[in-house]
Amino acid sequence: MDVGSLAIGAGIAVGLAAIGTGLAQGRIGSAGAGTVAEKPELLGSMIVLLAIPETLIILGFAVAAMIMLVLPGMAK
Amino acid sequence: MLVQMAKIQIIGTRNVLDRTVRALHHAGVVQIEEKLPTVQPLVLDAGAARQREEITLLLARLDALLTLLPKRPQPKNISALYEGEAARPANDVMVDSKNALGQLDAPAQDLVRRHDQLEADQVTLPRYAKTMRQLMPLAAELAPLKNYETVALLVEKKFSAVIEMLRQQLPALTNDQFELVARDIETDTTAAILVFPREHSAAIHSMLGRESITQVRLPDELTNVPFKEALATIQNRLATIPKELEQSHRELDALADQWRTRLAVWSAVLHDHLQALEVQGRFGATQYTFVVVGWMPRAQLPALRDALAQVSDEIVLEESRLSEHEREHAPIVLSNPRPARPFEFLVRLMALPRYGTIDPTPIMAVFLPIFFGMILGDVGYGIVVLLGAWYLMRQSKPGGLRSVSTVIIYCAVWSILFGFLYGEFFGELGEHLFHMHPYFPRGKSEWVVTLFAFSLALGVVQISLGFALGIYQAIKLRQRHELLDRVAKVIALIGIFAMVGNLAYALPPGFMTLSIALLLVGVVLLMYTLGWMGLILAPIEILGVVGNILSYLRLAAIGLSSVYLAMVANKLTERFEDALILGIIVGALFHALNIALGILSPTIQSLRLHYVEFFTKFYEGGGEGYAPFKREGIR
Repeated sequence: MDVGSLAIGAGIAVGLAAIGTGLAQGRIGSAGAGTVAEKPELLGSMIVLLAIPETLIILGFAVAAMIMLVLPGMAK
Repeated sequence: MLVQMAKIQIIGTRNVLDRTVRALHHAGVVQIEEKLPTVQPLVLDAGAARQREEITLLLARLDALLTLLPKRPQPKNISALYEGEAARPANDVMVDSKNALGQLDAPAQDLVRRHDQLEADQVTLPRYAKTMRQLMPLAAELAPLKNYETVALLVEKKFSAVIEMLRQQLPALTNDQFELVARDIETDTTAAILVFPREHSAAIHSMLGRESITQVRLPDELTNVPFKEALATIQNRLATIPKELEQSHRELDALADQWRTRLAVWSAVLHDHLQALEVQGRFGATQYTFVVVGWMPRAQLPALRDALAQVSDEIVLEESRLSEHEREHAPIVLSNPRPARPFEFLVRLMALPRYGTIDPTPIMAVFLPIFFGMILGDVGYGIVVLLGAWYLMRQSKPGGLRSVSTVIIYCAVWSILFGFLYGEFFGELGEHLFHMHPYFPRGKSEWVVTLFAFSLALGVVQISLGFALGIYQAIKLRQRHELLDRVAKVIALIGIFAMVGNLAYALPPGFMTLSIALLLVGVVLLMYTLGWMGLILAPIEILGVVGNILSYLRLAAIGLSSVYLAMVANKLTERFEDALILGIIVGALFHALNIALGILSPTIQSLRLHYVEFFTKFYEGGGEGYAPFKREGIR
């Protein structure tokens, strides 16, 4: 398979996932900052909520790594 | 581990009330309940109420005075001093501190005021001096006159038309009795001095105000002094200020040396007395008896019983039987083996566990550093982090920062161990420098899949452990709903694993039917548990559990990104072949950035795996903290 198209695919996998995570974290973060300002004791729950969308980019990264590392092996 | 708590009731006759309060205060183990529904609240008698008012006032003055005096290192025998004063009757301490305040308040405030004034002068006087020096050449042209007032003006050059305007208006205002000299003193400033008879002062000032012309204002005591003298005065004053400041420092220090410790001890002792008076508002009372209801660790019960028996035999201490509702509101005390204790604050950060549930601290103490180490996994970075955290631990007092640094030390040790496994020392630098032989080169592409699989395996282990704990807890607390929910998810999960095993040809083909059956059983059981909504929610929930496990991929993914960053740092250094020193600096900066990221991101990610993925399988937060009635001591 063509390395160029693999790289483009991997880039899309990471990039779109990152955009999704960024959008979600931006909203959660701004709400969370307000929450912590009013109730500092909620910092723990706030970190948890903020970290939830990170799974998206992690999975995006995993898929990209698979595309780059596993697909070429399978094609042979 | 959550400490077993007992709800207690102490009943005694009112004549031993004071001594009982003192004994409870010294024991410092009972958290006294706020409201007693069945008895009237205890009302302080007139004498005690007055004492409370007086102590409150005294404390306000004492604490204000303490903020004025400079800090002194605490003497070694401070706790002995505190105990000595605490043993004296409250009234004696009050009289002593009142006398001291009478003697000290005024002089200390004077000293501080003088000191502040000196510091203010030190800043403002040089500014005056600068302006006056600018005006000096003009002042020399004017002979000092009695009964005449002098006004200095500084005007920006672009507004210098103002001076012409003054020249036109002044003759009318002063009957021609004035002198105005002006000169450009800097490239963009024109200075002017205006002299006129005092009788026209009001008219001229109001005219200046109307035209918004800013005058050079001098400190009050210098306004009626000729320029030259004023400048000399300012310079003399500036010369003496450092000495005077030093003098006032010395005097304040002397006061602090003599009094600060004593005042601090009195303040601490009076705070304790006040607390002992205020806590009685939570007691219940009848005409002849008082009642205290509270919580305490059960293990301390015999000791408290002995302490109260020594006070009087007219006190009864008994443990109440707990209702289900009361159990839920028992205060939470975490008690863990020493190595796990620094991790308690991480559990608190989330929320205290509810009474009767599992305290995840020890499990977190095992997994969190491993996760961190697996992500950072670099001997060099690990050593840097270890040294930094060790320094921080040595510098910090017991408490928050000490716990944080201890946790980081555990994490750093695991990073070093994983670093040997991955063969990384500041990225692949170790391989070049010391020919480190990696057992598991995670940066190499053929190992990435293995690394992913390893992360997922860790996820399976932790999530299964979470479910096991959740099932155990549900059985112990007789929570039927939670039990079914968790069992259903476990069955479905086993089904999914078996299916994956089949697809990967790791299991014989006959298992496929069994695995699908297991998955179906799990889903249906979960649907039954969740009710009608379960028809939609159950598949989503099970997908969520699979998502939880996939989430552990971050252990590999974030670790890889840090490896690649380290490689970039080294590659960048190699580029600077001609300017090796510069290259090393750039590389070091890049590595420093990577270490900073390498502490932050693994910490947050490992925490998140615990809070979101692991805790949700069994953890029940919402526990209330334990705040026993005890002497605060001296801080």
